[in-house]
Amino acid sequence: MARHQVILFSSALMLSIMLIFVTLFIQHHFMLASFLFVMLTFLPFVIRFERRKVSGRELVLLAVLSAIAAVSRVPFASIPSVQPTTFVIIITGLALGAESGFVVGALAALVSNLFLGQGPWTPWQMYSWGMIGLAAGLLRHTKFMKWSIGRYVFGFISGILFGWVMNIWFFVGNIDQITISHILASFGASLYFDLAHALSNVFFLAVFGKAWIKILLRFKKKYGLLDR
Amino acid sequence: MSGSIRQTIVKNNRGFRSFHPFVCFLYYIGAAALVMLSKHPVFLFVGAIILIGVNISLDRGKAIRQWWKMLLFVSMFFIIINPLINHRGTYILFYLGQNPIMLEAVIQGVIFSLSLLCLMILFASYNLVITANKFLFLFSKWLPQWALLAMLAMRFVPLLKRRLQEIQQVQKGRGLSVAEGPLKLRAKNGVQLVQILLTWSLEEAIQTADSMIARGYGVKKRSRYTPYQMHSKDWLALGFIVILGSISIFGWYLGDNVLAINPILETVRLIGREWFFLIIFMLYISFPLIIEGREALRWHYWKRKI
Amino acid sequence: MALLEAKNISFHYPEERRPALDNVSFYVNEGDFIVLCGASGSGKSTLLRLLKKEVSPHGSVSGDIYYNDQPIFQLDSEVAARELGMVFQDPENQLVMDQVMEELIFGMENIGFSTEYMRKKVAEMVHFFGLDDLLEKKTYELSGGQKQLVNLASILLLEPRILLLDEPTAQLDPVAAKEFIGMLHRMNEEFGITVIIAEHRLEELFALADRAIILEQGKVIFDSTPRNVSLQIGNNAENKLYSYLPSPAILYLEHSLNIQERELPLTVKEGKLWIKKLNIEEVRTNSKEEIPKGTPLLQMKNIDFQYTKDQRKILDRTSLSVFEREALAIVGANGTGKSTLLKIMAGIERPQGGSILYKGKRMKKHDPLKIGYLPQNPKLFFLHDTLEAELDEIIKQHKLNGGKTRAKELLEWFQLASLANRHPYDLSGGELQKAALAGVLLPNPKVLLIDEPTKGLDPDAKKRFGELLVRLREEGVTIVLITHDIEFAAQYATRCAMLFQGNITVTAPVHSFFSGNTFYTTTINRMIRGSNAPNVLTVEEARTKWRVIK
Ligand SMILES: Nc1ncnc2c1ncn2[C@@H]1O[C@H](COP(=O)(O)OP(=O)(O)OP(=O)(O)O)[C@@H](O)[C@H]1O
Ligand SMILES: Nc1ncnc2c1ncn2[C@@H]1O[C@H](COP(=O)(O)OP(=O)(O)OP(=O)(O)O)[C@@H](O)[C@H]1O
Ligand SMILES: [Mg+2]
Ligand SMILES: [Mg+2]
Repeated sequence: MARHQVILFSSALMLSIMLIFVTLFIQHHFMLASFLFVMLTFLPFVIRFERRKVSGRELVLLAVLSAIAAVSRVPFASIPSVQPTTFVIIITGLALGAESGFVVGALAALVSNLFLGQGPWTPWQMYSWGMIGLAAGLLRHTKFMKWSIGRYVFGFISGILFGWVMNIWFFVGNIDQITISHILASFGASLYFDLAHALSNVFFLAVFGKAWIKILLRFKKKYGLLDR
Repeated sequence: MSGSIRQTIVKNNRGFRSFHPFVCFLYYIGAAALVMLSKHPVFLFVGAIILIGVNISLDRGKAIRQWWKMLLFVSMFFIIINPLINHRGTYILFYLGQNPIMLEAVIQGVIFSLSLLCLMILFASYNLVITANKFLFLFSKWLPQWALLAMLAMRFVPLLKRRLQEIQQVQKGRGLSVAEGPLKLRAKNGVQLVQILLTWSLEEAIQTADSMIARGYGVKKRSRYTPYQMHSKDWLALGFIVILGSISIFGWYLGDNVLAINPILETVRLIGREWFFLIIFMLYISFPLIIEGREALRWHYWKRKI
Repeated sequence: MALLEAKNISFHYPEERRPALDNVSFYVNEGDFIVLCGASGSGKSTLLRLLKKEVSPHGSVSGDIYYNDQPIFQLDSEVAARELGMVFQDPENQLVMDQVMEELIFGMENIGFSTEYMRKKVAEMVHFFGLDDLLEKKTYELSGGQKQLVNLASILLLEPRILLLDEPTAQLDPVAAKEFIGMLHRMNEEFGITVIIAEHRLEELFALADRAIILEQGKVIFDSTPRNVSLQIGNNAENKLYSYLPSPAILYLEHSLNIQERELPLTVKEGKLWIKKLNIEEVRTNSKEEIPKGTPLLQMKNIDFQYTKDQRKILDRTSLSVFEREALAIVGANGTGKSTLLKIMAGIERPQGGSILYKGKRMKKHDPLKIGYLPQNPKLFFLHDTLEAELDEIIKQHKLNGGKTRAKELLEWFQLASLANRHPYDLSGGELQKAALAGVLLPNPKVLLIDEPTKGLDPDAKKRFGELLVRLREEGVTIVLITHDIEFAAQYATRCAMLFQGNITVTAPVHSFFSGNTFYTTTINRMIRGSNAPNVLTVEEARTKWRVIK
């Protein structure tokens, strides 16, 4: 895994965090700031993948994983607010690396929205899932992620953060009229769902994490894919 | 769902939908921006009515009828919650317990929910016009590799759904059920099913990849078959959208599309220049409606002539 | 000058001791139509893939392949992609795009053609194949045969000079398969496209081909005209490849009094000419077909079914009875709903209307102890890493007494004992089929429902599978199977049913069923129709019933 990818990621992140702070002071440009934040943390990876020459097999592998992530919620129709999409994306990041995790996350969101109808939330969903996959991939060789509890914590946090980011689309157009209490109110309203999401991530990671990583690695080895 | 996508493909070559996808897409970007920027109850109210009209002209309002509960819930949520938690302002309407309910907060809540409402109605018609295929076409202009990938994934979704259903059925006979038992077990069984799908589909996907490679994937830079071409009517529409859109944005810049709330509450009634910008705003938003209406009229007269 | 020439190719898969191909040499002239056959694992797919360098397998190759006198590995990749087209076995997996139009132009986009050129080519090809109605459709909505035609069309749009096909008709119904092969023939005749096709079902191909190349364990053992090859193989009925021959040829070899290569029939037409010259007497046997009577074991009554509300009805007031100890074969076109019917029969899918009775009692849901169901793709049956673990799990789940010993017996019986510790996905097609069957049979069901068990099996494996079914029936198991393989149905089923547009149109004992059909019948039956030879369906039957009078 290329070091410059890590550098790229962290510099984009730093830049954006700085921007956020600056714009928090100048409240009027908050909308622009959040927009910039998304662009700066998202677009570099989008473009990076676009430029890469990807073999047919890798392309199909990524497409299948995205489709599986999108479809995986079908059997869970009878269990409200539990679904393994995030789990599939985290596993992809862990097994196949940051870029694959990012692509599968963003694509899973896009594809399921193309099927179910897109809405103002589509970009946010792409963003959140893409970032979850990316982060899982970037952290995969760290001690923290090798430690099983660490992975659960990661799953939990991504569940909660996902819910938060998804709430943002409500406010984008009206950000200058928003108060903290607004945001808290809507976060509070979705807390139940976010918690369920976070806990189910932990559960899936605990029960299936190892087996799934093994499946993906076996496959990767068998066909010599995404080796770099 | 895919059924509804299909239907729109069939009706793809009439009215607003017959314009070049880029034109339609630009309209939606502009409309979304205007709806988010124009923070004025009159603008937004008129906008919502027109957008409902657009939906009705496109699919007789089927899409919004499917959604109306969600629309109602979201807009009511903010209308109610805003006065309850926001107490800035000067006009006190009444007290709810200890808390003053402000006129400013009520108006703000109305603006907020109207703007959300417009956005969602806009997206309802967006889904009717910008079908998955058109979206991918647009997408493939800038990001061809992503578009190809998305197209591949789109092709896998119905296939995997069907496989999953089959797996579910076969495994049910072996006691793997998502419908019965304690929650933990059901969730576990659910992922078990997805796991079979994963192992199975990964292997099969290799064949898909081989079929891609066998047809020359990766030997060259791909060209792109363009099913859509810009005709003169598309250029005209583009001009219309760009000009009206820019004027509207200018109106926002001047503050005419926005109701000032703090520090002083401006009157909701429109005055002077604001009327002009309302008309421009209306014209922009109702662009699809104008096109659909013209088409309907044309048919009407054509039939008469025969 | 040969268009394609292979010189002493050997191929080893990594970590395999035995070579998959062993010193294979052959040449192909422009315009040849060549069939490649041989047992499962004889190296057909490996060879075809080596000819198409983009999809050639990993491993060590020795020897040379020349295309147009140029080593194939040095060929310009665009030329290679365009001029050598390849169609694979599974129609579904080859589709890349979501819409038929996108699928057709996929290859052309890869090569970088202009929009104008693509428009022109597509219009032409669509017209030639009659695909107009499909263009706007989603690829997943097509029937298997349509899918495979789209695959072929998409490749032909690149104007290949050689078409390589790896069992392209294995999943197709008999009519669609004939149509597909007919299309290949037309391509070959009218445009001079060279065709190399690997297949197990040779009834039609032997008649069309200019040459047959037979592989055995990676070696070319025959390379000659189909007639000559048939004669060489047919000289010895003990030959392992004997069952590969088209049935007119076998019939000829077994019943002709004076065997001549010139006369050896490969087509129905040739067969008819030959049979006219014979005078055949019927040997009376006491195997009379009887129409099953009594109460059915399993009964479907007025079943209505559709997958979604806005889709067509797949089954429309369908009724079907299954009697004890019979083997009922269901045939029908791709996508008519055979698999759906079987799922409903198993109690796996719930119909919207009608009822299913098991021994006269209403059946509510699937019970593996009564009814064993083997899906069209046996892969989805497996949950665990090894076959052994899978069987243990089944024993545990149904709390089977003496399950362990039965599992062992089954493994022995199916010759799977040595594979019990393999990953199920690493088994060959036939082995996988048997492994899943072992799992299904473990709870000792009374009825066995099998969905297309013979696809992709070589004739030998098919024969062994058929014998397995016979043995199961002797043990008291009732069998319902779906198949596209008419010859197999004619030989191993006792009764046949045809599904057409949501309804069972005919059910009859095998003999009367096939004797009445024109397309859905065995080659032999078509051959002897209108002659005065005693009516038979299969070669085996002819062996017992015919006696040729000198
Ligand atoms: N990826 C692989 N790794 C190792 N061995 C393989 C691989 N693929 C095939 N083989 C072996 O190579 C031999 C030839 O296989 P091949 O698939 O070419 O046979 P085939 O004639 O096409 O069989 P079928 O009729 O079943 O398709 C077999 O013994 C098979 O087990
Ligand atoms: N899960 C599903 N959802 C919706 N439609 C389906 C589903 N499964 C099958 N179909 C459709 O139902 C029809 C019947 O399918 P089925 O698989 O039963 O056909 P079949 O006769 O077994 O075909 P084949 O010979 O190709 O196996 C087809 O048109 C298919 O597209
Ligand atoms: Mg093969
Ligand atoms: Mg079927």
